[in-house]
Amino acid sequence: MKGIPTVLITVSPEVSAQMRPPRALYPKGFKIGNSMGGPGMRELQGQVLREALSLLGENTRPGQVITREYPVYREYHEPPRVRN
Amino acid sequence: MSISRKCVPFTPFEGELARSTIAIVTAGGVHLNEQEPFNIADELGDLTYRIIPEGVDSSQLHVTHHHYDHTDADKDINVVFPIDVLRDLQAHGFIKGVAKKHVGYMGYTMQLKAMYEGTAREIANEIDKGSQADAVILTGG
Repeated sequence: MKGIPTVLITVSPEVSAQMRPPRALYPKGFKIGNSMGGPGMRELQGQVLREALSLLGENTRPGQVITREYPVYREYHEPPRVRN
Repeated sequence: MSISRKCVPFTPFEGELARSTIAIVTAGGVHLNEQEPFNIADELGDLTYRIIPEGVDSSQLHVTHHHYDHTDADKDINVVFPIDVLRDLQAHGFIKGVAKKHVGYMGYTMQLKAMYEGTAREIANEIDKGSQADAVILTGG
């Protein structure tokens, strides 16, 4: 077995980085259970998947998690804010 | 609990996406309705995995996992297992094809050494033999 290229989509970037994945995408603000976006958000899901797959051809280094923002996701889920 | 300190091997991708076949491996506890659910009663976790075939109807997929809220995956499995999304990318020519098999497992275990040395290798071998995948998308819950 010569190995197979992988790319990770993670919503827990700090935890994932510890395992030094070869390529990883963090869709910023996506909650656990929504790695690809919200249910039925097929266009967003496609965008996330295309951008994750595109990392296969980029010069990544193990442990580096690429953060991308997808503003449309906020229409589905707004992270809770911390009160001062 | 034993913890592996090994790093993940880096395998270069030398092809083109438009000529590549992609498999999905998910830790999100995804399996076919007809397959045995993961054993969430075992506090150490379940080290088994399920093969999900190429032509699966996404409505026939189910999540058994008690360490994340899978309410959304219950409505649309693509939020953790993007099989229909992958098919869309194939239809648009972004990728060449969808692999012949995919894998679901329950990404929670207190047996990390057994996961690393056993389950992970078995999953890699499953993908390597017969899936015809050129690359793999990994997702969690």
